[in-house]
Amino acid sequence: MSLELCDVTVTLGRAESRTTALRGVSAGFAASALTALVGPSGSGKSTLLAVAGALLRPDSGQVLLDGRDIARLSPAEQARLRRTRIGYVFQSGNLLSGLTALEQLLAAASVAGRPPRAMRPRAEELLAEVGLAHRLRHRADQLSGGERQRIALARALLLEPGLLLVDEPTAAVDRERAAGIVDLLATTTHRHGCVTVVATHDPVVTRAADHVVDMTRLHTTSAAAS
Amino acid sequence: MYLALLELKAARGRFLLMGGVVVLVAALVGIVSGFTTGLGDDTISALRRLPATHLAFARGADSDQFARSLVDGRALDGWRAREGVRATPLGVSIARGTTNRKVEVDFAAFGIEPRSFLDPGSTSGRALSAAEPYGIVVSQQLVKDGVRIGDTLAVDRLGITLTVRGATGRSSYGHVAVAYLPVTAWQRIRFATPGVAATTAPPPRQYSAVALQAAPGADLAAADRALGTGTRTVEAAYAAAPGYTGERVTMTSIQAFLYAIAPLVVGAFFAVWTVQRQPELALLRALGASRRRLVGHTLGQAAVVVGGGTALGAALAAGLGLLVGSEVPFSLPGAALAATMGTVVLVGLAGTAVILRKVTTVDPMTMLGAGR
Ligand SMILES: Nc1ncnc2c1ncn2[C@@H]1O[C@H](COP(=O)(O)OP(=O)(O)OP(=O)(O)O)[C@@H](O)[C@H]1O
Ligand SMILES: [Mg+2]
Repeated sequence: MSLELCDVTVTLGRAESRTTALRGVSAGFAASALTALVGPSGSGKSTLLAVAGALLRPDSGQVLLDGRDIARLSPAEQARLRRTRIGYVFQSGNLLSGLTALEQLLAAASVAGRPPRAMRPRAEELLAEVGLAHRLRHRADQLSGGERQRIALARALLLEPGLLLVDEPTAAVDRERAAGIVDLLATTTHRHGCVTVVATHDPVVTRAADHVVDMTRLHTTSAAAS
Repeated sequence: MYLALLELKAARGRFLLMGGVVVLVAALVGIVSGFTTGLGDDTISALRRLPATHLAFARGADSDQFARSLVDGRALDGWRAREGVRATPLGVSIARGTTNRKVEVDFAAFGIEPRSFLDPGSTSGRALSAAEPYGIVVSQQLVKDGVRIGDTLAVDRLGITLTVRGATGRSSYGHVAVAYLPVTAWQRIRFATPGVAATTAPPPRQYSAVALQAAPGADLAAADRALGTGTRTVEAAYAAAPGYTGERVTMTSIQAFLYAIAPLVVGAFFAVWTVQRQPELALLRALGASRRRLVGHTLGQAAVVVGGGTALGAALAAGLGLLVGSEVPFSLPGAALAATMGTVVLVGLAGTAVILRKVTTVDPMTMLGAGR
């Protein structure tokens, strides 16, 4: 799988709050490689992930996933792509309230059309890998911020996506955990050959990444998005 | 459905509460429906049993015809002479009497000609007979009240004594049990003066109505003009039974209100539920759930709550029906129960349908907002 952005421009908000979040951004992301996307807050990292993840349609430019422009797909086709080929860890708000850690994963499996019962052993294994074997039956509101991010990561990995988009996975965890998470991301990426893009501020991530892309350099005008 | 059930389980308190409301609404609909049918039966089952197509009342009697109309023998003879019509007299009035066992009963006296097409026959004992002008056939409710075949029944204060020849099925008129008797005996009851000793002079040859079996296409209007009567179908004559129209209006308006309330409460609940759940719905959309899936998901939850609640409510209404038995006019046959409960489910789900737009228009991009 390969991901390439060609001259992508995204404006967000209306009237007063109108912001150009991505300005003519072009970038390529290789398979089997962990790319760290860095840049100051507000530089457009999350926006780039959303465009790559078929969540957000750019104003102009192309988003090529395996050479196919996903920006032109219908909303239904984009949703299909999201549930079948893309693993996404959002910056926040990843979990369904009221459901346990294990159910979060099984629910995602059912959305993707996979039988929850059959996916259960793998889900438990992944939760153990992110260090949450003892939290399977905790509900979202009974977990810490870092624990929630790790559940979201396990959920993203469950369906073995070709494209893995991760937004600040280590923002709420200690250095030791951060190293564990990055390790898991790197091994998964190399083992499954997926395209992995991680938006981050964390040096632990950048050190372990195969590539580091500076968001501020991607905009065609050198100034950060205004 | 997996996810829908997970959510049901996670928010079971709220769903149980909502289900409880649906149970009560459904039970109430069932109970009201049972009373509507029961009271209706109690008011007009005797009329419904009449094997006539039309009733010809005196012209000018436009309401309470059974009490107000008097048709004379000339009109009866006229009707009998018409082409395509069979005619027989019918007398209806309310009376009270006491049996030789001191059982006091109210009864609706239905005067008919023995062996005419109105004759109900008998399910036990003997049928009416012209040979016994004061022999009567009583309906089941009177038997239950303690009137036995062979008893005599003295009509209060009129000095007329009737003999119970036989019994027939359930039949009542204006919440009063029916007793069938020869129309000549009925005339004696109808035209007697209380307290005055019965005379031997024949009573006036008059009736409440002429019951008709009209062939399709028979010109009833022409007969009405010629004979001075006003003909209406038996169904149209139900309204002339005492209390019938008022009861129906009351009961059906209660039912209509319940049918309006059901979708409103269910709709309001799912509207609040959906608004509360916007972040979850956005997340599901972001994870790639299709709109169709989310709609199915919401409808599935509504089906569980509305369907489950209605089933329980139906059981409650049916149970109450069994409990009250025949003590009160309550009748809820399986078909009626199924129909009313089907309506409750439909209007309940209709209430949910209104908020489906809120489900399909959720924007997965809100996942990127910092507010989460
Ligand atoms: N809905 C919106 N309406 C208007 N402007 C928006 C909206 N969402 C984001 N922005 C703006 O777009 C720019 C890019 O936002 P984005 O979330 O991509 O930044 P980021 O690099 O991920 O920042 P951070 O490191 O803080 O997460 C920011 O300046 C932000 O203020
Ligand atoms: Mg961000």
